[in-house]
Amino acid sequence: MKRALTVLLLVVVAIPLLYAVAQLPPHGSPTSPAYTHVSAYYLEHGPEEAGAENVVTDVILNYRGFDTNGEVTVIFTSLAAVFAVLLGSRKGDERLSEEPTAHQSPVSDVVSFIVRLLAPFIAMFAIYVILNGHISPGGGFQGGAIIAALVIVTTIIVGRKQAEAMVPIRIRRVLHVAAPLAFVSVGIAGLIMFGNYLEFPKTESLMWLATIWLIIVEIGIGVGGAAIVATIYWTMGDE
Amino acid sequence: MSRVFDITLLLLLIACALAVIHTKDLLGAVVIFSTYSLVMCLIWQHRGAPDVAMTEAAVGAGVTTVLFLVAISKTVRKEK
Repeated sequence: MKRALTVLLLVVVAIPLLYAVAQLPPHGSPTSPAYTHVSAYYLEHGPEEAGAENVVTDVILNYRGFDTNGEVTVIFTSLAAVFAVLLGSRKGDERLSEEPTAHQSPVSDVVSFIVRLLAPFIAMFAIYVILNGHISPGGGFQGGAIIAALVIVTTIIVGRKQAEAMVPIRIRRVLHVAAPLAFVSVGIAGLIMFGNYLEFPKTESLMWLATIWLIIVEIGIGVGGAAIVATIYWTMGDE
Repeated sequence: MSRVFDITLLLLLIACALAVIHTKDLLGAVVIFSTYSLVMCLIWQHRGAPDVAMTEAAVGAGVTTVLFLVAISKTVRKEK
């Protein structure tokens, strides 16, 4: 009975949904509502007006910078939540003094060798992705995730203690807030110079400044995102 | 040809999603879920969104999988 009711309910919900989907404009149709408002303007004027050749970067960091500013704050908040849940029961920095001597299964030589061999290339690729975010696909979020992945595989090879020692806790605390920090700095610079929070230079003579701001924000997002993901991993892996 | 490729990927995606739900072994489910991310990444790329594809590959297939593995290593491997 209950099962029949569920099926009936699903069908009742599915029919209007499928009907609505059938009404959608075809994929990629230039007359679909999503493409007739601002998209054409962004595509046409983005590259020379917003400071980056990659229109995606123009949109997420310049035209919709406020939105992305909120997003990086959300990422930072996720770290705060992880800390609150996982470290809440512990007192102060006790976790640093007590050595988590949980038995770690030995890493195979093959894995260790491959990671050591690839690490510099992964790092170089991550830096390339971050710094070229305004020209080619990629950017702070993607590059940051690649750095975080590198830190995680390195942690698996050398052990958490040694990996954490590479970045002292004081520096790490600053790195956690790098993304919001970079965004707010650029935002306030816009406030002072052009009168609005996060307002980027628009005139052609100041294009170089817009590009520099974009790169600053990209680096902030990349470094900050990597630090946050790596720290979440370390904190979760903690005994 | 492109359409066949798309449909194959989408079918694979659905198969992965169903497999994740029905796998009792959580470790296996995580591995299948990372396959799901990889297929999704291919779809993004094929749809002309390389930025999203890169994020999907790095975050979906990489970092999320590792975090799930850590979570499993802290708990039990089989679903009750």
